Amino acid sequence: MHGSDFAWSVAFAVPYAAVFCAFVVYPIAYALWIAARPSLYADLIADRLYLPTVVNTLVFVGLGVNVKMFLALLLSGFFMRRRWWIKALLGIYILPWVLAAVQTCISFHWMLIGEQGLVDGLLAALFGIDGPIWFNNRWLGLGSNIVAYVWKWMPFWTVIFLAARMTIPRDIYEAAEIDGATGPRSFVHVTFPMLANLYLICILVSTLWTLGEFTTVYLVSGGGPAGSTEVLATLGFRYAFDANRPELGIAAVMSALPVLIPIVIVLMRRAQASEVQL
Amino acid sequence: MTTLTRRSLLRSSLALTAVGAIARPYVANAAATTATVWWVQGFAQEEDVAFKKIVADYEKASGNTIDYSIAPYAPMRQKIVSAVTGGVVPDMFQNTPAEIIALYAWDDKLVDVSDVVETQREEFTETALLTVRCYNNVEKKRSFYGVPYTVGASMNHIWRPLVEKAGYQMSDIPKTWDPYYDFFKDVQKKLRAQGMRNVYGLGFQMNTAGNDSNARANDFLIAYGGEDIVTKDGKLHLDDPKVRKAAIEMLTYPTTAYKEGFVPPGAINWNDADDNNAFHAKQIVMDIERSLSTEVAIIKNEQDYNDIVTMGLPLSNDGKPVPVEQGSLCGLIPKGAKNVAVAKDFLRYLIQPQILNELLKTGLGRNLPAMPAIVKNDPWWLDPKDPHRVTYVRQGLFGPTVPTFWTSNPAYAQVQNEHVWQTAWAEIMKDGAAPQVAAEKAFKRVEEIFAKYPIAQG
Repeated sequence: MHGSDFAWSVAFAVPYAAVFCAFVVYPIAYALWIAARPSLYADLIADRLYLPTVVNTLVFVGLGVNVKMFLALLLSGFFMRRRWWIKALLGIYILPWVLAAVQTCISFHWMLIGEQGLVDGLLAALFGIDGPIWFNNRWLGLGSNIVAYVWKWMPFWTVIFLAARMTIPRDIYEAAEIDGATGPRSFVHVTFPMLANLYLICILVSTLWTLGEFTTVYLVSGGGPAGSTEVLATLGFRYAFDANRPELGIAAVMSALPVLIPIVIVLMRRAQASEVQL
Repeated sequence: MTTLTRRSLLRSSLALTAVGAIARPYVANAAATTATVWWVQGFAQEEDVAFKKIVADYEKASGNTIDYSIAPYAPMRQKIVSAVTGGVVPDMFQNTPAEIIALYAWDDKLVDVSDVVETQREEFTETALLTVRCYNNVEKKRSFYGVPYTVGASMNHIWRPLVEKAGYQMSDIPKTWDPYYDFFKDVQKKLRAQGMRNVYGLGFQMNTAGNDSNARANDFLIAYGGEDIVTKDGKLHLDDPKVRKAAIEMLTYPTTAYKEGFVPPGAINWNDADDNNAFHAKQIVMDIERSLSTEVAIIKNEQDYNDIVTMGLPLSNDGKPVPVEQGSLCGLIPKGAKNVAVAKDFLRYLIQPQILNELLKTGLGRNLPAMPAIVKNDPWWLDPKDPHRVTYVRQGLFGPTVPTFWTSNPAYAQVQNEHVWQTAWAEIMKDGAAPQVAAEKAFKRVEEIFAKYPIAQG
């Protein structure tokens, strides 16, 4: 490379490197520095909320991601149909994803808020029964968070799988049909194998996103009752701003790194272009 | 079109440098007269209008500039914590949440503002002064780290029409603590018998997240004789049988009322505004709140405003007046502030009695002035035409008061931040723990926290 070429290369690379350092390297390094004291992790373990929160996070991510992805995969097949009303239905179906998360989550909160909520109101009006106080029970609260989360994000992944299905050549299905693979067998022997790699990558990406999910839990159950439905993101927020211990908040979120890093490594390996099947 | 040459480029650069050099003193001068102030948004719009007017008047009088930003309570709390953690701070903010004054003073993160307080020292109530006299663990001394301007005290807020619908008069309400709150259990029973299936007698905040539930725990603790849990020297007195008994009773009464169905089940998850919301929806007959925000929020609805009765706290169970915990809103100057002089000057201006009176009056009197002379000199505060303010003034300013516990020792701020008492409530209400068992667990945690905040005596 000639001197002037090198200078131009540097000139183009420097702004990117500066932005990367300012908005990626610095925040991560700062967070690691703040959360570096080992005593913080001892404080986390000693806190009555931390370990139940880890369990909640695992349940929320495990169920939230897998239920959402599996249903999205199935529904993408439904939306492949060419009828006009199905196209129209798709437009309505993606509304929860299009709307701001704050609005959708607050709507869920108000529907389930107990004796004043829409759900319990309907139960009383239609069946004359008192519904549960949804956010007074850990598992009902956690379940409400998961349902709201799946409802909010399933349309997005359905559209992804719909787009992926559209790229599968029709002649493969025609060949399979000649061999007797129709209906569910076509899904098992053609569609799913063709989408398997994408499905796995989507699961990994969604797991990364969901591990940091804050909005749903904060706005639907609010982490209640008594903090029993917190996930790591909301607990970190509580430590930082309610308990005025920002370093403990960052440590709580950082404690997810042992899970996050292996997922990123697997994701990077799976995302290599040569391995994508479509 | 002008052609850019080396000579023209040099000429332009020199000109820009010259302009910069000439302009610099002006910029520096402007910075020296500007203070950045973060202010919490009021419950009523009038409170923000009042603040903006005070700022405009100050700027006109002083020639300084107040570069303010007004944000709601929760975002402001996050902004303050982030700023102090990151080290890039404004010149002044309020104690949002209230206890940060004690925590930041302990860590030597606040500027000593004794010189500002001294300008009006004689005017302040003794309790208001105590709420800002905090301990600095670096300098090993107490000093004034905040400038108080308003105080708040817990009050009962009651729907008179609901009491009357139940067949009672307001004069039927007992005067002492437990019978007082038991009365609303009977009101609920009578209202339910008339078909009001979702009405509850008591609006206690029972959550483990907000500030109001901390105030409720302290109200009950004091009422049952536990006001010496932390003394002014910062010492914890959980070894005092009277305090322990009071704490157990504080854990017992509200949780029993909750389990018996006299508090809305959702109260365990309420945020700080939800008791107000439930009260306005007439889901609860009474509420306790540490300001007139309940009333001020509906001041434009004259009938509802007049239907609410504001009452002071009842007497203790043995018939003595209960000192109410008085918290103050105050101005804080963080260390690292660029313009301490203007921030102090603004605070000195703000706490002049006539200025402070204007600020609070225009803001509808939701909070009380920290200076009794203001209400004595202005008949507006004790005007009997307003059904709420007179009671609030009498209880909050002229009744017996004690400072917030965390002022004496910031350990109690952490007790509140961790919601130690409310966690015990939750264990009793949700998990069925016995109050004695939950109390022992809470006592242990309180002692652990206090061990981290030793205060030198002398």
